Amino acid sequence: MLLEVRDLHVEFRTRDGVAKAVNGVDYGVDEGETLAVLGESGSGKSVTAQAVMGILDMPPGRITGGEILFQGRDLLKLKEDERRKVRGAEMAMIFQDALSSLNPVLSVGDQLGEMFTVHRGMSRKDARAKAIELMDRVRIPAAADRVRDYPHQFSGGMRQRIMIAMALALEPALIIADEPTTALDVTVQAQVMDLLAELQRELDMGLILITHDLGVVADVADRIAVMYAGRIVESAPVHDIYKAPAHPYTKGLLESIPRLDQKGQELYAIKGLPPNLMHIPPGCAFNPRCPMAQDICRTEVPPLFEVDREGVDRAAGDQEAGVRTSACFFWRECLDG
Amino acid sequence: MAEAILEVSGLVKHYPLTRGILFKKQIGAVRAVDGVDFELAAGETLGIVGESGCGKSTVARMLVNLEKPTDGTIKYKGEDITKLSGRALKAVRRNIQMVFQDPYTSLNPRMTVGDIIGEPYEIHPEVAPKGDRRRRVQDLLDVVGLNPEYINRYPHQFSGGQRQRIGIARGLALRPEIIVADEPVSALDVSVQAQVINLMERLQDEFDLSYVFIAHDLSIVRHISDRVGVMYLGRIVETGRDAEIYDHPTHPYTQALLSAVPVPDPEARERRERIILAGDVPSPANIPSGCRFRTRCWKAQERCAREVPPLAVPEEFRFVEGPAAHDSACHFAEEKRVVPPEEPPEQAT
Repeated sequence: MLLEVRDLHVEFRTRDGVAKAVNGVDYGVDEGETLAVLGESGSGKSVTAQAVMGILDMPPGRITGGEILFQGRDLLKLKEDERRKVRGAEMAMIFQDALSSLNPVLSVGDQLGEMFTVHRGMSRKDARAKAIELMDRVRIPAAADRVRDYPHQFSGGMRQRIMIAMALALEPALIIADEPTTALDVTVQAQVMDLLAELQRELDMGLILITHDLGVVADVADRIAVMYAGRIVESAPVHDIYKAPAHPYTKGLLESIPRLDQKGQELYAIKGLPPNLMHIPPGCAFNPRCPMAQDICRTEVPPLFEVDREGVDRAAGDQEAGVRTSACFFWRECLDG
Repeated sequence: MAEAILEVSGLVKHYPLTRGILFKKQIGAVRAVDGVDFELAAGETLGIVGESGCGKSTVARMLVNLEKPTDGTIKYKGEDITKLSGRALKAVRRNIQMVFQDPYTSLNPRMTVGDIIGEPYEIHPEVAPKGDRRRRVQDLLDVVGLNPEYINRYPHQFSGGQRQRIGIARGLALRPEIIVADEPVSALDVSVQAQVINLMERLQDEFDLSYVFIAHDLSIVRHISDRVGVMYLGRIVETGRDAEIYDHPTHPYTQALLSAVPVPDPEARERRERIILAGDVPSPANIPSGCRFRTRCWKAQERCAREVPPLAVPEEFRFVEGPAAHDSACHFAEEKRVVPPEEPPEQAT
C-alpha cells in the first residue's frame, strides 16, 4: 500500500463547541490506483485530505487519533521539516479553485520553477526550462511564450492544467485532487480529467480524487469510498457500487440522479439534511434520514462489515480489486433492494 | 403547442468596452447575448443549457427586466415588456418572478424570513391587504415545506436547501405565471438537489406555473424540461423537445456537450462515444465570424467561416418526419446518438 489512513480522527474547536469533522476514517491507495472519495459538503472528505497532506490549519483543527502511513512511515510522527520534504516531492495536491490557489503576482513560470529551486536546488534558468517542459506536458499551447504570463491571463481550464503541472513537477508518488474539475465547464472538465488520468497512468501514481459528482467518479475511479459525517460508510470497487450499493446512503445518492426512465416522475430524494457536526446523532449518523433504520441503528455505531456473498454481488473481474465494506447493519437487505 | 405566454425574438445584450476616462470611446462590445429567439407556452418548462459565459444568465436577467436589452423584444401575452416603464412595468413584473442561483447571497441576512417573503407585498400591496400578509407568508412557508413557525428566523439559521426554499417562496408570493430560475440547484448538495427539484415540479402543477429553467447540469434539465434550448456564445444553437435534443442531437456542440457529461454508470463508459472538444470557448468580445462554434468544431469548413448558419430545421431533415427534424444552427447537421440508450435498471425498487 502506498498510502494507508488508519482510524483518523480530526476535530475543530470552535466557540460554539467541538465539531467532529473526521471520526475514524480508514482508506488506502496503491501505486497506479485511483481512489475516489465521495461525499457531500461537511462529510470530512477534504479535511481528511488536508490531514494527509499536512496542511490542516492547527488550531482550530486537531488530529486526535489515528495513523497516516505513507510508504510505511507514519507521517503524523514526523517533524515539520521532515514533513515538508514529503509534501510536494512525494505527495502533491491539486485544489478546486485554481485562480485562488495560484499566486496572482507571480508569473506561472516562476511558480512552477519554484518547485525546482526550493526542492531540487536548481538555478533559476534551469528551473525556467523545467517549467516550460511541464507546461508542454500538460498541453498548454505555446508554452515557451506563455511561461511569463500571470494566472489571470489564462482561462479556467488552462489554469487547472497549471495546477496539475505544479503537482506533477517533482513526480510524486501520490496525488490528491480535491474537486479538480468542479469549477470548470463540462466540455473543459472532460479535457482536464482525461489529462489527469493519462499522466497518472504514465507515471504510475496513486491518485485520490475527492468529489461530490457521481458521474466523474464512474468515469475514472477504480475504487470508491463514500463518506458521511466524517466516516466512510461504504467502500468498494467502482463497478460493484453502481451495480448494487450496500449502504442506504449510497443507494439514496444514486437514486436521486435523474434517470431517463423516471422522466415526469418524482425524483427519489433523501429526506432531511446532513447532520450538524457538533451534534452527530447517536448510533449510525445516517439513521434520522434512513428509510431502513431500526432501533439498533439509533443506539449502536455500525462497524465496517465485509460485504461478501461468494461473488454473488460482485461484478466480473472485481474480486481481485479488493474487499468491499459497508457500515450498515442491514447491508444484506440493502443489496437485495 | 398551447398559447405562448412569452415570446422572445432577436434578443441582444451588448456591454460596451470603452477606453479613456474623460473622452470615452467605445472600442468594442462584449456580445453576451447576440440574437436569441424562443417561446414559452403556458404551463410548460423550457430548459436553457450552456457553459459559463454563454449568456444564459443574462437572458434570465432580461426576462425579469433586471437588465435592459440592447435590441429585440420580449412579449408577455403579446405586449412588449422591454418598452414598458412605470406602472405598466410593475404590473408585468408581478407576473414574472425569479429564483436566484446562490441561496447564500440572494437573501438579506438582516431580514427575517417573514420580511423576506413578505417584501413583495410591500411593493405590490394590491395582492394582499396588510392584515392578511403574515398568514399568507406562513402559508407560503408551508407550501415550500418549511415549518410556518420559522417566520421570525434569519437566513443564517437555515441550510442551503432550506434557503433555496425560502427563495422559491419569495418568488411565489405574488402568484406569478412565469418563474425564471437561474441555476436554482447548482449550489446545493446532491441529496438536497432532488428535494428542491421535486418541490419545483409539485409547485408547477399546483400553481399552473411556466418555468424558464436555466442550468448547466444536463441531466437535471432533461428531467424537468418539456423543451430545451442549447446556448453557445450568446446564441441558441439547437432547440427542440427534450427527447429530440438528448437522443437525436444534430448540432456538433450539443453532441460534444452530451458526450462530455460524466455518466454515473461505469458500464456506460465503455459503450459511450466521447467527443473531446479542443480549446476553450472564445471570448464574447471577439466572436468568430460565420458560425461561432467553428473554432472548436471538427466538421468546420470554409463555408462555416463565411456564413452564419440560421437556427432552423436543417435541409437534410426538412422533409423527413421524426425527432431529428428540429431547429439546429449548423451547415452540416447530422444526427448522432452520443449517449447510449439506457438499459432499465436491474433491481426494481
